[in-house]
Amino acid sequence: MAAAPPVLRVRNLTVEFATDAGIVRAVDDVSFDVAGDETVALVGESGCGKTVTGLSLLRLVPEPPGRYAGGSIELAGRDLLALPGEALPAIRGRDVAMIFQEPMTALNPVFTIGTQMADVLRQHRGLSRSKARAEAAAMLAAVNIPDPDRRLDDYPHQLSGGMRQRVMIAMALSCRPRLLVADEPTTALDVTTQAQVLAEFRRLQQEFRTAVILVTHDLGVVAETCTRAIVMYCGSIVESGPTAELFRHPRHPYTRGLLESVPRVRAERLPELPVIPGRVPDPGRLPAGCRFADRCSRVQSRCRDARPPLQPVGAGVPVSVACFNPW
Amino acid sequence: MNATALPLPAPRRDSLGARAVRQFRRDRTGMVALAVVLGYLAAAAGVWFGWWATDWGALTGTKWEPASAAHWFGTNIIGQDIFARAIYSTSVAFEVGLVVALAATALGAALGAAAGYFAGSWLDEVLLWFMGVLEAIPFYLFVAAVAFALQDSPWAMQVGMIATFWIGTARLVRGEVMKLRGIEYVEAARAIGLPSPVIIARHVLPNTTHILLVQASIAFVGAIKTEVILSFLGIGIRDGVSWGLMIEESTKEVLAGFYNNFLAASLLMFGLVMAFNTFADALQDALDPRKVG
Amino acid sequence: MPIAQYALRKLLAGIPLVIGVTLVSFALMVYFGPDRTYELLGKNPTEEQIAEVRSQLGYDRPFAERYAGFLREVVTFDFGYAATGEPVATLLARTVPVSLLLILPGFVLGHLVSLGLALLAAYWRGRVADRLIMALATVGMSVSFVIVMIGFQIVFGSSDWLGWFPVRGWSTDSVGEYLRYIAVPTLATMFVAIGYDTRFYRALVAEEMTRDHVRTARAYGIPEARIFTRNILKNCLIPVITRVMFSIPSVAVGGSLLIESYFGIPGVGRATYEAIITGDQPVLKAVVTLTAILFVLVVILNDILYRVVDPRVSLE
Repeated sequence: MAAAPPVLRVRNLTVEFATDAGIVRAVDDVSFDVAGDETVALVGESGCGKTVTGLSLLRLVPEPPGRYAGGSIELAGRDLLALPGEALPAIRGRDVAMIFQEPMTALNPVFTIGTQMADVLRQHRGLSRSKARAEAAAMLAAVNIPDPDRRLDDYPHQLSGGMRQRVMIAMALSCRPRLLVADEPTTALDVTTQAQVLAEFRRLQQEFRTAVILVTHDLGVVAETCTRAIVMYCGSIVESGPTAELFRHPRHPYTRGLLESVPRVRAERLPELPVIPGRVPDPGRLPAGCRFADRCSRVQSRCRDARPPLQPVGAGVPVSVACFNPW
Repeated sequence: MNATALPLPAPRRDSLGARAVRQFRRDRTGMVALAVVLGYLAAAAGVWFGWWATDWGALTGTKWEPASAAHWFGTNIIGQDIFARAIYSTSVAFEVGLVVALAATALGAALGAAAGYFAGSWLDEVLLWFMGVLEAIPFYLFVAAVAFALQDSPWAMQVGMIATFWIGTARLVRGEVMKLRGIEYVEAARAIGLPSPVIIARHVLPNTTHILLVQASIAFVGAIKTEVILSFLGIGIRDGVSWGLMIEESTKEVLAGFYNNFLAASLLMFGLVMAFNTFADALQDALDPRKVG
Repeated sequence: MPIAQYALRKLLAGIPLVIGVTLVSFALMVYFGPDRTYELLGKNPTEEQIAEVRSQLGYDRPFAERYAGFLREVVTFDFGYAATGEPVATLLARTVPVSLLLILPGFVLGHLVSLGLALLAAYWRGRVADRLIMALATVGMSVSFVIVMIGFQIVFGSSDWLGWFPVRGWSTDSVGEYLRYIAVPTLATMFVAIGYDTRFYRALVAEEMTRDHVRTARAYGIPEARIFTRNILKNCLIPVITRVMFSIPSVAVGGSLLIESYFGIPGVGRATYEAIITGDQPVLKAVVTLTAILFVLVVILNDILYRVVDPRVSLE
C-alpha cells in the first residue's frame, strides 16, 4: 500500500471563517497523505471540519466568509492553494472530482443529465457534442444505469435518489480524476439503496483506480469501504491509521467513544447505550489544551495545559494519535 | 456522568427584535439614512405645530424671484415663497405616507391572516378573487374611479392607494400564516380550544412582524411617490400644495428656464425617498430571519 | 394535458376575474359615479326634462338591471361612442398601436439591461462595481418618474441644453423620426425601470448562486462566467418571466398614461387620461375591461411559458 506514491499531500491545512462571533477555525493544522490506490475515510461528528477539509481539496470553500489561513494542498505535485483562481476550473472535475451529499439538489433541475454530463466532458476532454453524449451514455452504463441513452434526456427530478447519486458518480469518474472526494454520498439514501450504491462505488474505484476520500460520520460505511481512516475532532486530526487496526484497537478516547456509541446488533441488551458525555466545545472558544479534555474519561492535568501533537504510536504500528494518555 | 456539570459556554439568548436592533445599529449607512428621515420628520412636525411654513399660500413676493435671504428658494410664477411651499409639502408627504402605510398594512395583515388561517375555505377563495380583481384594474383608472365614487372627496387619493396597496402585504402574510398554521404551538392553541381570532391575534400575527415592518416601509415610499404622480396628473391632492402639485406647476416654468420650483420639490422629494429606501434596505437586512445565527 | 385544452380551462377560470373587474368598475364608475344629468341639460331645466334625461341614462333603474346592461356591452364588445363621437372600437384601433410602438423598445431594453447589470453585480459581488451598480439602482428607484420625465425632457430636448430630440409630440413618418420621438420617453422609462428591476434581478441571482447545483458546476470546473450566463440565468428565468409578463397589462395602459399625456403622444394612455378627466365612461369601461382580459391572457401565457422553461412544472 505504502508503495504507491501519494496523489495528495496535505500539510498544515488551516481554514478559517469570519462569523458574527469573530474568526472561527474550522480546520486547524491538518496534515495527511493519500496514495493512488487508497480509499481513505474522514470521520467525525458534524461540525468537526471534515466537510470543510473535503471542500478544501477542490478549493471550494466560499471565500469570503472562508479563508485558507495556511498550509498546502499538493495534488499530483501542484499546490492548489498557491494557484491563481483562474487555474482552478482546469483542475476541478479533471484531476479531482467531488460527489455531494444531496443528490436531490446537487444536479441542476433545469438541464437534462445528459447536458450536465456532456458539459463536463466537453470542458475537460474537448469532446464534440455528439462524442460527449456517447461518452456520457457509456459512463451511465458503467454505473449500471439501465437504458442509458434514454436516461440522458431525463431531468434530475425524473430519477430516484439512488439513480441520481449514480449519475453523480458517473459524472465524477467521467474525466478519470486522480482523486475523488465523496461527501456523505449515501447519507441521504435509504438503507437498501445505500448498500447498492456503496457496492457500486467500491467496484468502480477498483476499475478506475482512483484515490478516494470518503467524508462520513457513518462508521459502518468506513468499515465496509475504506482502507484507512482519519478521525477528526474540533478541526484537528485525533487519530489515523488502517481501518482494521483502528477498529480493533482504538487508541484515542474519542475514537473509542465514537466506536462504542454506534448502535449495533449486540448479543445482550446493554442497560443504556454508551454515549460520549458532554458537548463539542463552541468553535469560537476552544480550550487551550486538548479539545477533548472536558469530555474525556482519561483526562490528566497536562491535557488541560497543552495540546497533544499527532504522533506515530511506534512499535511498527502504522497508527498516529494525538493523545497524552492513549488506550 | 452529568453533562450539565461541565463548564460550557452559555449561548447568548435574546429575542429576534433585540437582535434586529443590534444588527441595525451596526449598519452605518442605515443609521445615516434614519437620521435623514428623522430630519424630514422634524420639518414636517414643525408644520403640524404651526412653527414654520405657515405662509405657504401667501403672495409674499413677485413672479420668479431668484433665491435670496427673504426667499431661500426664490418665488414661483405668482410670487409665493417656494421654500415655505416645499417644507409644507414635506408635511403633506408624511401625512399621505403615514396614513396609507398604516391603513394598508393593517388591512393587509388582517385580511392576509384570515385568508392564510382559513386557507382553502370559501373565505380564502373570495379574498383571493377580490385581490386578483383589484390587481387587474389599472391603478390610475382605479384611483380616478374612487374619486368619482367619493364625489371628489379630498381623501379619494388615499382611499384609492389603501384599497390597492394592502394586496401585496396580504399575499405575503397569507403565505407566512399558512406556514405558521402547521407549527406545534399554533396547533396546541387550537387543540385547547382557543377561538380562531384569538389564535390569529396572539400567536400568528406577532410572528409576521418582520413582514409587516418591511411592507409598511414599502407602502410609505410608494404612497409618497404615487402622490406626486397622481397630483401631477390632477387626480391627487386637491387643496393646498404638495410636491406633485409643485412639479406640475413647474412644467410651465422649466420651459421658460426657471428651475427653482422644479428643483426644490424634486430634490426634497428625492432626498426623503432615497433616505427611506436606504433605511428600508437596512431594516430588511436586520430583520431577515435567514441571517439569524 | 394538451396546451389548447389547458388554455381553454384557464380561460374559463378567468371568467370570475373579469366579472369581478366589471362589477367593481361598474359600481365605482357608473353606479356611484358622477351624475351627468345636468351636463346634458341646458340652463334651468324643468322637472320633466330632468326625469326624461335620467330615464335615458338609466339612473331610475335598479342596480342589477343596470349592471346586466353593462355586462352585455362588455360581452358583445359593444362599448358605444366616446364623448367626441368617435366609436370606442375605432378609438382603440387608432391609439393602441401608438402606445405599443412607444412602450415596447424601453420595456424590452429596460429588462435586458437590468438583467445584465444584475448578473454583473452578482458576479462582482461585494466589490466596488457591485456596490456602485446597486447604489445607482437605489438612486433610480428613488427618483420619481415625473421628475425623470421632466428632467430628461429639459436635458435632451431643450435647446438651452443638448437639444438632441424633440421636446414633445409624435411622428411615425419615417424610422428616423420615430426613433427621435421615442428617445426621451424611452430613456426615462428605462432609467426608472432599471432601478427597480436591477435590484430585483440581483436578489434573484444572488439567491440562485447559493444553490447546491452551482457548487456542483464549480466543482466540475465549469468556468465562473459560464455558470452565470448559462446555469444561473436559466434557473432565474421563471421569476424573470413572471415579472415581465405581469408588468405587461399595467405597462400597456398605466405606464404610458403619464408619458403620453405629458409628451402629447396620441396613444391609448392619453385617451384614457382624457377620459378620466372628462368622465368619458364608454372609453373607461372599454379600457378597464380589456385590461382585465389581457390580465387573464397573461396569466395563461405565463403558465405555458413556465412549462417550456422548467421541466418540473406540468400543466395541471
